[in-house]
Amino acid sequence: MDGEPELALQPPPAPKPRASAQGFGWEEVSREVVEFFASIKLAMFLFLILAVTATIGTVIQQNERPETYIKEYGEQAYRWFTRLGLTDVYHTWWFTSLLGLLCVNSLTCFYKRFPAVWRSMQQDKVNVSLSFIKNMKHSAEISAAGTKEYIGERLVRFLAEKGYRVLAKNEASGVSLYATKGIMGRVGAHMAHLSATVIVLGGLIGSLWGFQDFGVCMEGQTYHIPRGNFDLHVDKFWIDYYENGAVKSYNSTLTVIDQGSPALTKTITVNDPLVYKNIWFYQSSYGDAWDRIEVARLNIKDKETDKVLATVDLEWQKEKVIENLGLKLTATDFVADFAFNSSEKKVYSKTVEHANPALRLALNERGTLEATPWVFYHYPDLFEIQGSKYSFELVGYQPKKFTGLQITRDPGVNIVWIGSTMIVVGITLSSFIYHRRLWAKIVPQHDGVILHIGGNTHKNQIDFQREFKRLIQHVETKSA
Amino acid sequence: MLKSLFLFDMTFWLYLAALALYIAYLFVRRPVMQFAPAGHPVEAYDDRDEGWAGQLGQVATLVTVFGWIVNSGALFMRAYERMQLSGTFAPWSNQFEAMAYVSWAIILGYVLLEMRYRIKAIGAFVVGIGFIAMGAASLLPYRYQTAEPLVPALNSYWIYIHVSVTLTSYAAFAMAGGLGLMYLFKERAERKGKSGGIAAAFPDLETIDELGYKAIMIGFPLLAFGIILGAMWANYAWGGYWSWDPKETWSLIVWLIYGAYIHARMTRGWEGRRAAIYAIFGFLMVIFCFWGVNFLLSGLHAYA
Ligand code: HEM
Repeated sequence: MDGEPELALQPPPAPKPRASAQGFGWEEVSREVVEFFASIKLAMFLFLILAVTATIGTVIQQNERPETYIKEYGEQAYRWFTRLGLTDVYHTWWFTSLLGLLCVNSLTCFYKRFPAVWRSMQQDKVNVSLSFIKNMKHSAEISAAGTKEYIGERLVRFLAEKGYRVLAKNEASGVSLYATKGIMGRVGAHMAHLSATVIVLGGLIGSLWGFQDFGVCMEGQTYHIPRGNFDLHVDKFWIDYYENGAVKSYNSTLTVIDQGSPALTKTITVNDPLVYKNIWFYQSSYGDAWDRIEVARLNIKDKETDKVLATVDLEWQKEKVIENLGLKLTATDFVADFAFNSSEKKVYSKTVEHANPALRLALNERGTLEATPWVFYHYPDLFEIQGSKYSFELVGYQPKKFTGLQITRDPGVNIVWIGSTMIVVGITLSSFIYHRRLWAKIVPQHDGVILHIGGNTHKNQIDFQREFKRLIQHVETKSA
Repeated sequence: MLKSLFLFDMTFWLYLAALALYIAYLFVRRPVMQFAPAGHPVEAYDDRDEGWAGQLGQVATLVTVFGWIVNSGALFMRAYERMQLSGTFAPWSNQFEAMAYVSWAIILGYVLLEMRYRIKAIGAFVVGIGFIAMGAASLLPYRYQTAEPLVPALNSYWIYIHVSVTLTSYAAFAMAGGLGLMYLFKERAERKGKSGGIAAAFPDLETIDELGYKAIMIGFPLLAFGIILGAMWANYAWGGYWSWDPKETWSLIVWLIYGAYIHARMTRGWEGRRAAIYAIFGFLMVIFCFWGVNFLLSGLHAYA
């Protein structure tokens, strides 16, 4: 086991019995498999390969449209991207498998190593050989005056004061002593090992049974939420600004309507969602609607002279009467990016951008002429209204804002939080508490005793060294 | 208005002075360290600093502590200005403030380390990194340095804890990186057989190595906690705890890199030189996560 850690919890390190050459039974295979999956080398490999592959998705834009990739990288590259899944790295089979392997790896590690930690919490070897003590990383040999019982007691008291758990055995040949502290550090590490699987499990549950939708919603409308079997009414949407004009927050007041009656009203904002029946509604974005406006400003001109006769503000779908011109006007339709479907004879908005805005009017002139012309923001003189004395110019409009709601249910999220707590608590324990063990033998001589003491820790050697030095000094000064 | 900027400026000059003093401290002649037979130094490191060295070291420490106090004052002032301006106070709400906070944390960490282990030679490296962080911050264009009000997504109490925890972990990794660099310096001097000169001011290799490991063991849980706080925030703000946005992905990458490191430490051959190089590499990744991502990659976190 070259390169494997010096983690033996059971002193002295027992030589491993080698499997006999002919024996290649189930036991050997399963031992090899456990050995492989519990190996730290595999863990290091997985950590690093995950780190490397995770960078891909931060360099190549993820989940874009094919044209975007082809434009940036060329067609050949794009074909490779789709083959390897580089346009959605984090959901490819191989990335998921790496995560799965990490779980198997850490679980196997737990299975193989935790029992030893557990046993050492219950009991440990008190009696070890002298050479074991002498060969420890930190060891010392001190002659002292006094009986072995006296020195032993001193040592036990000192270590117990320092928070060590001490076991001692008094025999004719000498006192054996074992002291340990900080096993929780090791328990913490294993807690971290279990947590990886818990988190991945939570993520899996979320992706299997959760959903994530996005809704573009208008003030005053009611929307059915099929997966929750209730309705959502958008009471209000507004934006708050800082003094300097920057957006401070955007907010929607929402009312949940369950079986016909209002069940819950809440104003949501970024960072403060509404939760109903485990479905979360987030204030995710806002924008200009592409199919309706608040108000439009029109110039009414004389067709002959092109003189502006009046400027009116039309509210959305509200009839406006202009007495002196004998006009009744209503803004009935709006598209942000005008397009015409000739087979269905329908006007629609090509995109959500306000690239070619057009407003449709319902016009009644002196009770005789009725028309429904489209008026274009960018092309004021495109169409002429037959028989009318006037022409209309759309000089501006205020778009209606929509509120962008993210609608999410994630049944795995609490499991993820449990795993997260485990990982943070586990890693913190293992970082700040370190496991140390001391063994001592106090051997009587003709004029006092010789104290052999040795200790080790799996990390934090410098602090342990200081502690060990202080311990030795304590014994020396007391016995001097 | 914006008195904090003046204090940040002052911090910069004080850290520069401290760094110069620590470097001067390294060059003062001193007797070669005495080693006990077991290879461990017999005395505390500073005990050998006689005359000039001792005085220089003391002044360096004083200037550093003073700089740190001014740095704290600058952050407080900035918090106050933010409060006046927009009602939130987190003095780490943009790239500039974040960097000033990181250098504050690095210097705090260094001062604690010096108090505990009394090894001033580390100052030349670690205070150096704190100074560079502060210096890079003051090189940012003025419009990045002012306390603009927060965009809606950042306007949340999560910013107080998520950002500060993550930045503190960066500071710990910076410390480890500085120690790694120091290890390589010292090792080179030893290989060349020089035991006097600058190398004499350095602690022994094992101590540098262990301190570096310790710094990483502080940064590692902090980063884990920071990432998870970020996930919790995202769950409130974006409607999902993990969306593989470049910033969160990169912090995970950094965490994985250090995860490999702490496990590697347990196998033979991963202390010393290799660990030092790895710690420097890890710190470079931290810098990329902290800077590169904000300026080179796009994503939800690109507010700064
Ligand atoms: C999945 C994420 C993992 C995390 C967050 C994690 C975290 C940790 C931490 C914090 C420690 C304590 C380090 C120390 O005491 O210096 C540790 C120890 C250890 N890890 Fe992991 N680890 C992970 C995966 C693995 C895997 C896959 C293996 C497979 C071999 C592994 C093997 C070990 C071993 C053997 C120890 C020493 C345990 C002991 O002290 O008894 N770890 N781990």
